[in-house]
Amino acid sequence: MKLSEIGMQRLLRISSALIVLGLLLEIISLLWFHPLAFALFAFVATGLIALGVVVYLASLVFAVAPPAGK
Amino acid sequence: MSGLAPVLIPLIILSVVLAIFFFLRPNVTAGVTGKILAFVAFFMLPVMCVVAGMTEHMQRAEQTQFCISCHSMEPYGRSLYVDDPGHVPAQHFQNHRVPADEACYACHADYTIYGPLKDKLRGVTRIYMQYISTPPKEITIPGGYNNNQCLHCHNGARSFESNPVHQAIMDSLKSNQMSCITSGCHDTIHDVNSLDHLKFWRPGQ
Repeated sequence: MKLSEIGMQRLLRISSALIVLGLLLEIISLLWFHPLAFALFAFVATGLIALGVVVYLASLVFAVAPPAGK
Repeated sequence: MSGLAPVLIPLIILSVVLAIFFFLRPNVTAGVTGKILAFVAFFMLPVMCVVAGMTEHMQRAEQTQFCISCHSMEPYGRSLYVDDPGHVPAQHFQNHRVPADEACYACHADYTIYGPLKDKLRGVTRIYMQYISTPPKEITIPGGYNNNQCLHCHNGARSFESNPVHQAIMDSLKSNQMSCITSGCHDTIHDVNSLDHLKFWRPGQ
């Protein structure tokens, strides 16, 4: 399946899910005072947020936008 | 948390709310306003949250409590309270010759341009050793303790410069050929193996 066939809306949903998950993990890492919190933030939370941003940018480049009336 | 937290937490919450909004109503992006809002929600705010979060974590990782929250570091934290002026870290910590809340970082930081980054990467390898690999029985500093970490504060100080012993070996000290913590000089550092036999200072006594 081509990326353009997946559709912008679906990519935006994937992107928002990844970003929300990453941001929630960032909040946990900020409230948890432990060296593991740094690893959680640096590798897991940042990774998910970065992936979410990349999926969003990919949706701008590759996906077909929905008709304005819909 | 540092002074960044009152800004960071609301920023993250705003980002989460916007991301959930676009999850529920992705067709909003069909309009120009929606596209701009989506760019803010999916790019600008997440990037700001990551940068601010990293700054907060970097500042937090410099705190004494952070360092000694690792099980292996607990005895090193205890050694800061040894009631003996001959113990160099304890003397520095108790007399506030280094900031008490950043005591570990003050003496173990790499004072170079990329030093803080190198320190954090080294810290990550220690997290790996602690939780995935096996922590070493004896904790050592790779390459030994660098005199630059002492000289960062002591270099140019009157008491250091005018000391005749220091004057005689000044070049060796500054070129790191002779360690400050060499035997016979300031050689009582974190004596963690003898902690059970030592007397401790209690703040407020």
